[in-house]
Amino acid sequence: MTPSPELLPGTLYLLILRTLASGELHGYAIARHIKNSSAETLQIEDGSLYPALNRMLVKGWVSAEWGISENNRKARFYKLTPEGRKQLNRETKEFDRLIQAIQMVMRTA
Amino acid sequence: MQWVKEFWRRVRHIGNRSKFHDELDDEILFHITTRTDELEHTGLSRREAIAQARREFGSTARMQEDTHEAWQFHWIEDLWSDLRYGLRSFRRDKAFTAAAILSLALGIGINTTIFSLTMEFLFSKPSARNPERLVDVRIGGNSHAAIREFRFVRDAHDFEGLAGRHEEAVANWRYGTETYRVFSVRVTDNYFDVTGVPIAMGRPIQHGEDNTVVLTDHFWHNRLGADPQVLGRPLFFDGKPYTVVGVLPHDHRTLLGYGYSPDVYLPVGPHDEKQVVALVARLPEGMTRQVALERVKAICRQLDKTYPQEDPRSVDNSAVISLSGFDRFENEGALPIALFFGMLLVVVGLVLLIACANVASLLLARASSRRQEIAVRLAIGASRSRVIRQLLAESLLLATLGTLAGLAVNLLLTSATNRIQFPLPIPVQLMIQPDWRLLAYSAAVALLTALVSGLMPALKATRSNVSSTMKQGEHQVREGRWTLRNALVTGQLAVSILLLATGFLFLRNLMKATSMNPGFDVQHTAWAQMRLVPERYPKQESVRPIVSAAINQLRAIPGVEAASVVATVPLNDNYHIGAPVRADSSQQSIAAQWNYNRVSADYFRTMDIPILAGRAFSPTDDGNAPPVVIMNENFARLLFGNANPVGHTISYLKGKPMTIVGLARNSKYFTLGEENKLALYLPYFQNNDTRADLSFLVRAERPEAVVKEVTTVLEKLDSSASVETKLMRNALTFALLPSRMGGVLLGSIGFLGLALASIGLYGVLAYAVSRRTREIGLRVALGADRAAVLGMVARQSLSLVVIAIAVGLGIAFFATKPLAMFLVPDLSPRDPVSFLAVIGVLLLVALAATLGPALRALRIDPMEALRYE
Repeated sequence: MTPSPELLPGTLYLLILRTLASGELHGYAIARHIKNSSAETLQIEDGSLYPALNRMLVKGWVSAEWGISENNRKARFYKLTPEGRKQLNRETKEFDRLIQAIQMVMRTA
Repeated sequence: MQWVKEFWRRVRHIGNRSKFHDELDDEILFHITTRTDELEHTGLSRREAIAQARREFGSTARMQEDTHEAWQFHWIEDLWSDLRYGLRSFRRDKAFTAAAILSLALGIGINTTIFSLTMEFLFSKPSARNPERLVDVRIGGNSHAAIREFRFVRDAHDFEGLAGRHEEAVANWRYGTETYRVFSVRVTDNYFDVTGVPIAMGRPIQHGEDNTVVLTDHFWHNRLGADPQVLGRPLFFDGKPYTVVGVLPHDHRTLLGYGYSPDVYLPVGPHDEKQVVALVARLPEGMTRQVALERVKAICRQLDKTYPQEDPRSVDNSAVISLSGFDRFENEGALPIALFFGMLLVVVGLVLLIACANVASLLLARASSRRQEIAVRLAIGASRSRVIRQLLAESLLLATLGTLAGLAVNLLLTSATNRIQFPLPIPVQLMIQPDWRLLAYSAAVALLTALVSGLMPALKATRSNVSSTMKQGEHQVREGRWTLRNALVTGQLAVSILLLATGFLFLRNLMKATSMNPGFDVQHTAWAQMRLVPERYPKQESVRPIVSAAINQLRAIPGVEAASVVATVPLNDNYHIGAPVRADSSQQSIAAQWNYNRVSADYFRTMDIPILAGRAFSPTDDGNAPPVVIMNENFARLLFGNANPVGHTISYLKGKPMTIVGLARNSKYFTLGEENKLALYLPYFQNNDTRADLSFLVRAERPEAVVKEVTTVLEKLDSSASVETKLMRNALTFALLPSRMGGVLLGSIGFLGLALASIGLYGVLAYAVSRRTREIGLRVALGADRAAVLGMVARQSLSLVVIAIAVGLGIAFFATKPLAMFLVPDLSPRDPVSFLAVIGVLLLVALAATLGPALRALRIDPMEALRYE
């Protein structure tokens, strides 16, 4: 396994918010989704997902509820709140600007 | 308001902590199990799958901790560790901690006590149901109304209820063979119904009752031995039996307030037409005092039609006054009381400021000895704000400990105050109880103290240059003369001079007031109060024989030089009249306000008030003789200038002219502080207004020797009367009370302030000198004259004190000016004696604070001094 590139600080929130934009998911599904959709490039340590999710609960971006998973187990499902959706829009724009800026620097350099 | 919601989510989390941990465990389990299942599908063995899933998940312990932390209040955790650190360092530095906490305990203790006292005097509420809706109704501006007026207003049903009461009514209580004078409140039968005064045992006086009595707790305890069978027991007041139906709770506050604590509540009899009562109304929910006042005015006009008076009632003087809280001061002349307490709060605030300055300079001294520690922390990367926070947390801890100790001081002081038996003619008992306001106030004080005493030292301590401080020995370099600490101590001294000057002023005031000559002889006079049962003397004339007999028999007691009866005892009762008067047959009237008194023939001899012209009254000045008066010098000057008034006449607008037969020297009439008051004396027996309360004055070379005999003589005249005899010099307490209170309170506060400032001064000077130990040792080693070194050190300390004295006296000179209103007239607030005393005391303290450490430094072996530190 190639060492995964370090995440930019704060990007984990963006990734989680983006992942949850399509609907509610439990923690494991979020981790899997991030891994799969980045073609396994972004390998975050699964455990670090939960502190991030809890900080987002505190900020009120996501809400959580217990339910039954597809494999019939008790699981905690996370869902975006309206506040979280706003945050996603904000962060997406910020991120795009950042990436553009970096690309511009890369091109001119 | 994002952070508010966040805050609440965190708070809610605290309650769910154990559930949270369980759920987090469940979540981890689910994650790992699901991943294991998935890996197992790819062909791994169960055990390998578990290991792989665990590895991918990472450390569960760290994850749990991080997750938990997401929910925590960081600053609380930080604060907690700061406090623990502070507590540890306090334990190392016991002397410092004790000095700081003691300063704060005294400062805060006295502050909260004065606060409690102020709350009691200014804001206490009477014991009643919804006291804020109870008002005092003054028809035509009169404090009391006749019973028929009361009935008229009650039956108008303008308010939710209207009752009447006569506070400070005296009754004779016959118990066994003795008659005691007790203080009763006479109330109308609906009084308890309207006011809703809570009862501890039994029931209140009810409608239609005129022979029941409600006892106060202290009467029940002190006079009846807390008899548990007291309900239903008959007691005799003013010769009539009353059945005890109820006992009031021990914390009962009357509608009058100010700690007035009567003995019993008695109903006004149904045929008691002469009784006057103060009206108390319960306003309907939502009715303002303005609306109520309009109704009272309307009633007043109706009253004038139903019961016309010679002079119509002055409708516009009618008033509706709150009975509870601060509102009652609105219309009253109680502004000086409020101002006095305001001043007290300012003064104790200054004491607290001094205490804070003490703590601040202690913290400063401590911070400079901790400079290295702080510099190290800053150097290894602690942010300045983090270090300041640590220092502030320590001062917060100090302030909290100090406040707790202060609250203990407060409880001690207030319970002592509550037990004080005030030497007053009416029974007064304070009921200061700690309440939430006190707690809120102390918390605020503690916070403020922490900020004031902690912020400056913290800022200063962290400002210093890291690299220079890291190098030891740098601080031996002499500091600039005006360090923060010097400024602090100067300010502290200046404030304490202000306090001390105020304290001395009030003490001087007390001395002056006590030794002040009221214009009559208090040393050789005694005062007997005799109260007759009114029912026994239905007519005015029936009192006269007993009064004449009393005077004759008192005069016959061996040792008594003169005896007289008097309507108003000076400096105890107040009776003044304001009206236009006319001198001789002049058409022009002069508005005057004078003290009015009726006295019998020997009054002036008894009191040793000189008659400057004309004659004193004679026994023949009675109802059959032409009306005569005696006036004092002030009155004569107003009417006749410097001419002799004797032989002239004075008359009210409609009255007959009265001949002025004598001119009496000015004296004090109601307060010692009054000046230039007018007074008019009338012969006691020339006037029909005789009351059941009689006051006799006797003159004797040794009045204490005749007190007993006076009482016996009067008791023999009427065994149902209550008699109380006291020395006139002990009866001035009422007049002296303001001076005593001011003297005791401000004197002790001033000395407390001085004590605190002295501790601070001593600490700072001693610290400064001890830091120069090496320098002093060096000078001595190099051959400097010891006396010269001592002089140098003393000069530098004293210069600090002299500056402080100059600043403090400058402030005191102006700040004490408004205090004149509390002082006796011939004492100026800029009394030089007070100021000189203050300067002397402070110089002594400064000298002691300098000489001690300086001498110690001089005595040190130079070699040792050089090795010092």
